[in-house]
Order: sequence, then structure tokens, then C-alpha cells
Amino acid sequence: MSAALEYARYEFEGNDELCLKAGSHHPKNILLIPPLFDEMNRMRRMLLDVMRLLDAKGIGSALPDLPGTNESLFPQEHASLTIWRQALLACSAQLPLPLYVASFRGGCLIDDFTEDARQWRFSAVKGQMLLRTMMRTRIASDKEAGLSTNMAQLSAEAGQGQVNLAGNSIGSALFSQLEEAVASPSPDVRATQLESSTRAADTKLPGSALWLRAEPDDDLLLSAAIADDLASWVSA
Amino acid sequence: MSENLDLTPEAAVRAVMQDILGLDADQVSAFTADTELFGALPELDSMAVAGLLTELEDRLDIMIEDDEVDGELFETFGNLVAFAEMKAAE
Repeated sequence: MSAALEYARYEFEGNDELCLKAGSHHPKNILLIPPLFDEMNRMRRMLLDVMRLLDAKGIGSALPDLPGTNESLFPQEHASLTIWRQALLACSAQLPLPLYVASFRGGCLIDDFTEDARQWRFSAVKGQMLLRTMMRTRIASDKEAGLSTNMAQLSAEAGQGQVNLAGNSIGSALFSQLEEAVASPSPDVRATQLESSTRAADTKLPGSALWLRAEPDDDLLLSAAIADDLASWVSA
Repeated sequence: MSENLDLTPEAAVRAVMQDILGLDADQVSAFTADTELFGALPELDSMAVAGLLTELEDRLDIMIEDDEVDGELFETFGNLVAFAEMKAAE
């Protein structure tokens, strides 16, 4: 897998945001919405492998930084699901139509940024689950520092402006949006899950739950299965 | 309402441990009630424990409160399964 990745950009609210691309010259391109928060780091290598595999199959892909994540200079505490949807709309304008959107984990919460896209989802997660995991991490690190914190306190702190959870500055808007956020119901979406999942899905893919690992890792079995399923999906 | 198909608490704990530790099903099926977890498995750090609890909540359709979690819970596989069974029966 030697295909080169292109470090492209898109503009959002006066900032240049990174958008990695592979095979952008191909007629069909897929916008990839990454997982949110730490899950993005743990799945990024796997996603880049998917992009290279898609390129080899003659399909382009684009992986934007959401404002306030990864290399973005946007103030993280000002990020929200609304901001991220607006950014995806700006980024997607660079891609050829029809628009194909493949989202992963928390990314599935914001793939409804347009009504004019075909949607593919991998292991969609509720916003509340992401919040609870991050709050537990914060509570555990506070405990090691001799502090006693609970979720109700963290929730109240978020309501007063922002709260730091597992290295993320979460503003009150993002916090309250995540509490309610679920992937939007859509009859046309192709939903995928891991084979180990008991959730309903259009198809189950082999591989491991990289977002639960202590360290980032790749999973060539999973990236190949995702690339194969995406390729048949855009060709259907 | 759970969107999940039926899953026993023990099967859910085994499945989540398999995902977190990156093991295969055979290795996790060798876990017994006495298998030591926290402290014995370096991958099981505090962040992994946070993910584990949330995954169990999701897969078993339960809610785990802050004050229910203590160090003893993660001492052995048996402790964790017993806790999951207790929560699922509530």
C-alpha cells in the first residue's frame, strides 16, 4: 500500500483545516467522517489504510479534520456538533457528486449535515456513551490525584462554560448536544458492525474494536473488509 | 429498550475483555473466575476501564453509577462477571 496521501485543505470560518485525500482524481469520492475524541486517534491508522485500499480500487476518499480536533487551530471549547456539520458541508463542496459519506463511531452523529448524500456507517455510537467514557477517565485521574469527582459535578461544570474531560475541552453546547445525540434514523443508510457485535446491521465485518484499545493500532483485516464493503456500496 | 440481541452478562464481559485486550476468543475463553485483571494486565489501565464500563452499560442496557465502581470490582474476572450479573438482574 504505497499510494500517496495528499495533504489538502478546506476553509472554515477563516481557518484552513486539514483534509487528507487519496485518489482524488477518481470519478467517485467518499467523504470519511472520523470517530470523535480519543477514538479518532486509535482508529486513524486503520482509516488511512482504508483510504489507500480504496485508491487501489479506483475510488477516491477525503478525511477532514473537524474544527478543534487533530491539527485544527479552531478553539476546541467552541466546537459543537453544529460547527462540525457546517465544516463537513464546507469540505464536501470540494467533492464530486453524488456525495458518498462513510462515518465511523461518533462520526455517525454528524453525517446528517446534508440531505443529498448516501450514508454508510460503521459501529455508530451514542453521544452519551462517549461522554460517560470521558467522564470516567477524568474521575479516575482525579482519584489518582486525591480528588473526588462525580459525573453530576462534571455535568454541572460543563453547563457553566466548559469542562476538561480526558484531555478535551468540551464546551457547554457540545456537552449538551452529545447527551442527546444519536445517529439520525435514515431508511437509506447502510449500517455495518463488527462481527463480534450483537447489534443489528446490514452487514458484519471481521476485525477488532480498535477504539477500546489502550494504544492506537492498525487492523488490516478490518481495513480490508471496510474498503471492500465501501467499494461494493458505491458501485451499487 | 435495548437494541441488542440477548447476551448473558458473562458473555458480554468476555466479549469486551477480548476487544480491550486485543485477544482472540480462545484466549478469553480460558479466563476463569480467579483470573486476575487490574494490575495483572498492563493493557487494562484507567482509560481502558472507563471504556469497559461504558461498553458493558451499552451491551447489557444497564447504568453503572460512580459509587458502584471500586478497585475490588476489577481484581478478578469473577468479580466483574458477578457485578455485571447483579446489574443486569436489577
